[in-house]
This record gives sequence, structure tokens and C-alpha cells, in this order.
Amino acid sequence: MASVKLTGVKKIYDNKVVAVHDFDLDIKDKEFVVFVGPSGCGKSTTLRMIAGLEDISEGTVEIDGEVVNDLQPKDRGIAMVFQNYALYPHMTVYDNIAFSLRLSKVPEDVVFEKVNKAAKILGITEYLTRKPRALSGGQRQRVAIGRAMVRDSKVFLMDEPLSNLDAKLRNQMRAEIILLRKQLDTTFIYVTHDQTEAMTLGDRIVIMKDGYIMQVGTPTEVFEMPKNLFVAGFIGAPQMNFINTKLINEGGKYFVEPFGVRLPVDGEKGEALAKRKVQTRDIVLGVRPEHIRLAKPGAGAISCTLIVNEMMGSEFHLHVETKDGTRLIVRVPTVDLNKAEREELVSGHEMAVTFEGKVMHFFDPESQTNLLV
Amino acid sequence: MNEKRHMGLKSLNRASNTVIYILLIIISIVWLLPFVFIVLQSFRVENTYQVGYVIPQQWGLDNYIRLWTSDFKRWYLNTFIIALASAVLITIIQLCMSYTLSRFRFKLRGPLMRFMLILGMFPGMLTMIILYRVLADLGLTQTNAVPGLILVGVASSGMGYYVSKGFFDTIPKSLDEAARVDGATRFQVLYKIILPLAKPIVIYTILTAFMGPWGDYVFARYVAMGTSAGYNVAVGMYSWLTNDQINNWYTTFCAGGVIVALPVTILFLCLQKYYVEGVTGGAVKG
Repeated sequence: MASVKLTGVKKIYDNKVVAVHDFDLDIKDKEFVVFVGPSGCGKSTTLRMIAGLEDISEGTVEIDGEVVNDLQPKDRGIAMVFQNYALYPHMTVYDNIAFSLRLSKVPEDVVFEKVNKAAKILGITEYLTRKPRALSGGQRQRVAIGRAMVRDSKVFLMDEPLSNLDAKLRNQMRAEIILLRKQLDTTFIYVTHDQTEAMTLGDRIVIMKDGYIMQVGTPTEVFEMPKNLFVAGFIGAPQMNFINTKLINEGGKYFVEPFGVRLPVDGEKGEALAKRKVQTRDIVLGVRPEHIRLAKPGAGAISCTLIVNEMMGSEFHLHVETKDGTRLIVRVPTVDLNKAEREELVSGHEMAVTFEGKVMHFFDPESQTNLLV
Repeated sequence: MNEKRHMGLKSLNRASNTVIYILLIIISIVWLLPFVFIVLQSFRVENTYQVGYVIPQQWGLDNYIRLWTSDFKRWYLNTFIIALASAVLITIIQLCMSYTLSRFRFKLRGPLMRFMLILGMFPGMLTMIILYRVLADLGLTQTNAVPGLILVGVASSGMGYYVSKGFFDTIPKSLDEAARVDGATRFQVLYKIILPLAKPIVIYTILTAFMGPWGDYVFARYVAMGTSAGYNVAVGMYSWLTNDQINNWYTTFCAGGVIVALPVTILFLCLQKYYVEGVTGGAVKG
């Protein structure tokens, strides 16, 4: 159990490519932090620097207050689960899990006890005598987790542990990681490119892009108050709709005018804009698909044409096109529509949508930052 | 009609197989004959010189007994010491070298690999004169030829890194990383994780490292410089084939040949499975 502190951490490769820029982060004891971002954003590199598998070009990494930059991975008090499991193919499951304990000369009866305890928690007791090649992907991943568990480490590192599993197994293992975390009660750093994993697992999420931290926050914070366009687009599925439009300040009352339709920005968002004394200006307006409602044509409604209707079971994903050719995605729960309304939803259907002020996000088109953060 | 074509194909196949087998049998006979001949001669006791027939008229172990009363014992021991020491040392050095080149990234790694590759393209014979000079200055020639030959064999062993490096490259790096996180040192990673996975290539390395010095002639003769105590079997036995010796030693020479072939044959038969796997595995994946 330990805190992890990264100060000005930088990774510059031999070919002068900078993979991670000035990474600052304070991870509290027993916190579950998720690094998320598209491939090549530096999330795995950062994790590997914490693990000691990658040299740190600049800055310091502290684990439990001790600078570990020059320590070997084995001396950092960490355990790690790899994306491709990295099980030792020539050893049985038992020997795989026992490997680290034997290296540190733990008596064989303690090894036996610990391996069996871990195996029981992970439900792999019956496979202990098998070689990894005789296991399925999910079982292998459990062994990899078991191997990390018995080390009783201060920090638990996981590098995309679920991305090699199929969708169903991934959901199941995700739930198990949540349970595991409760049992181990230690500090977790988890790397993934999957925002669902990030949202469901993390106490805090670190969203990265091109080696820079875009935002650090709780799942609610990054979802409700994305700091910039990248975060707004990355978190949430389907992704947030972006509309280039104008924010109008009329004597302290705010309006937006997407596609020539004037919509009031009232409530909290309007007050926040007023507090910041935001003047009339160009903005990128962000609205999440689930926050757009179907509306009757008329004042305050944006008329559009349905292009594609994706039936997801519990909801429809409607891809619509406005008069000026902008595409929007609208998420409508299936139960909100009656049979006649559902049957209308075919390509070419003329319809109208609207949304309220409280669900709007306002971004500066130049700096791409959120006007209210 | 289909069946007819099927039958036609079948008989064509059979015909081509027959031709191939006949050809292979002829080649194996040609290839095996000298070995059979030598084995038969080694059991001949009626004459010590070359005769005009193959099957001995009188069989016996006289030639083998004579081997052990001659200098052969010394030569055999010399060869065995050289081959064994070389095999052990070359294997260790070569595998460490290959692992280093496969896993570590350091300055001049690429140029070093290319440099060794190019050096390896020159025939070893080119270095003979200067190597002899060096060994002579160190006092490692003639009666001390054995340590001299071991030194020469081992000194350049790192250059034979290609095959095993190619094999190591196919083992995922994350295994090394997992083991290092688990608490293993680099050396423990090598012998607890990588070497067990690279068993075929380890055996290939041992075999080639053993067989090189076992059959060495040119350099061994040069370093021994006519001192019988420094001969290996190849050089020693060749001294029986000179014009004035051959009639006395011919059948003993054949018996020596059989004894020399024995350890290599046994080693090979035991490790054959891994050897084939090692050579092809490394080549394809590397």
C-alpha cells in the first residue's frame, strides 16, 4: 500500500521522439487510477516507467515517498499484469504463480499456502498443474493476476489486461477486477484504451493524448465537465456531437443558435456563463447523443433527416443530417417510443430534435478548451 | 471418369515415388559405404596394410587393443579435453552474447553486430600465422597445444551469435519483463526463463561447439608443430598414413576412426530431435 508521485516525468527516445511530456500526478494510497487514451498517447510508456521497465528521461517517480528512478523493477514493490499475460510457457500454473516467491526464497509451505489462496480467489485451483498453453484466454489472465497477487506489492500495475479477451469475457473480468480491488485494497494503476473500462474501474481517470495529460478527474468530472474538445469526444459513446455556432449574450441572457434555431441557455450553465461575463462569441457547442430529444417540428426544434437508424436493443442510435449537412447522433431509449413512432424511423424520415441549456458544453474553437472549466 | 483420373494420378504418384526411393537408396549406399568399409577393416587381423578385398578373413579386436598401447590414448584425451572445454565455454559465451544482443540496447550495438558478421566472412585460415605467433609467445604450442587450442576456439565464440540470437528474438520480451518484475535478475531471467524455452538452440550450440574442435585438423596440426604430445586424434592418426607408416598402421587407423566417430554419433543420436528443431526453428523464426 503506497502513494505514487510523478513529477515532471518525461520520456524521450533515442531518436528524439518525445513519448511523454512533463507528466505530473499524485496517486493516493489505495487509489485506483486509470490511464486512458488512444494508442500512442504514452499511457503504457508512463506505466512502464513507473514499473522500471523503461528509463525515465527526466523527472522523478516516487513510490511511498522514495524516489525509485534508479531502482530495478523488483526493488520497487510493484506487481504487474501484462496485456499478453506473459506467462512462463514451460512452467505449470502453480510454478508460474510461485515464481516470484521462490526467487525471494520464501519457504515452500508458505508458497503452497499463498498460491492456493490466490488460486481459490481467482477460481483456478483445478488448473494449477496445467501448463499455460492448455488454458483459455480468460484463465490465462487469471493466472497472470494470481502471479501479481502473491507478491503482496505496494502498487498493482495493469497494462491493458483485458484487451486480448472477447467482449463477453471482458465484461466478466472487469467485474472481477472490481472485486479483486476490494480484496487486495492496494494502490492500482490501470492502463486501457477502452473508456468504458476507465469509467467503471477508476476512482480517477487520467486522459492522455500525444504524451500530454488532457484531464485528470473522477469519472463524473470528466464526463460532465470535460476540460477540452478531446476529452469531450473521447469519453462517452457514441461520442459527443460538436456544432460550430455562436454564443449570444443579450443583456445577461444567453442563447445559442445552432443551424439558425435559437435555443436558450438557462439554468446553471447560463448562470456560470454570466458569472464569467462571457460575451457574444463563436463557440463549438457540444451535446451528448443521449441529451438530444426528439421534438415536434416548429419553434425551438432543429429539423433534420434520418440517415441511419442503429437498433441497439435498449436504445436507438439515430444518425441524422441537418439542413447544412452536419451529422448528429441521437440516442433514444426504445421504451420512449410507441410502436408507430418506431416504425417511422427509417432512412429519409423528416424529423426534428432539440436539447436544453443544462446539457450544453461550450468550447473555444481556437484553444479547444471548455469555457466553463 | 473421375475415378479413372484418380487412378491415373495414383499410379503416376507411385511411379514417381519409386524413382525417388531408388535414387535415395543409391545415394545412401554411396554415402554409407566408406563407413561400412572402415568398420570392417578395423576388425581385420590378418594384415595391417591395404588389401584387395572388403570382408576380413580373420576377425578380431587386435587393432583396438593396439590403439590403447599406442599414442592414440594421449591424442584422444587431448581431443576430448579440447572439445569438452570448448563446448562448455563456447556455449556459455555464445548464449550470453546472443541474449545480450537480443535484449539489450546499447550504443554501437548495430555496428558491432555488422562488424562481427563481416569478420566472420573471412576464412579462419587467414589468422593462422598471427595466432600461432601469439600462442607461441604465450607458450601455448607443441606440448601445450591443448590449452592453446581451447583458447583460440573460445576467443572468437561470441561471433557465432546469429542463430541463437534469432531464436531468442522470437521469445516475447514481456516474459523477461514479467520475470524482472517478479524479482529475477537479468542472469536469472536468462537461465530460468529464456534457456528452458530455447532448449533446442542450447543443444544445437553445444553440439556445434563440441564437433568443431573434435574434427579439427589444420589448426591443431599447426599448433602442435610435430610434437606428438600435443596432437589431437586427427593430426595424430594422420601421422600413421605417411608412406613409411601406412603398411604398419592402416587397420589400426580404421579402428581409431571408429572410436573417434563414436562419441559424436552417440551425442547426435541422443540430441538429434532437438538439433533439427533448433536449426530450422531458429532459421524460420529468426
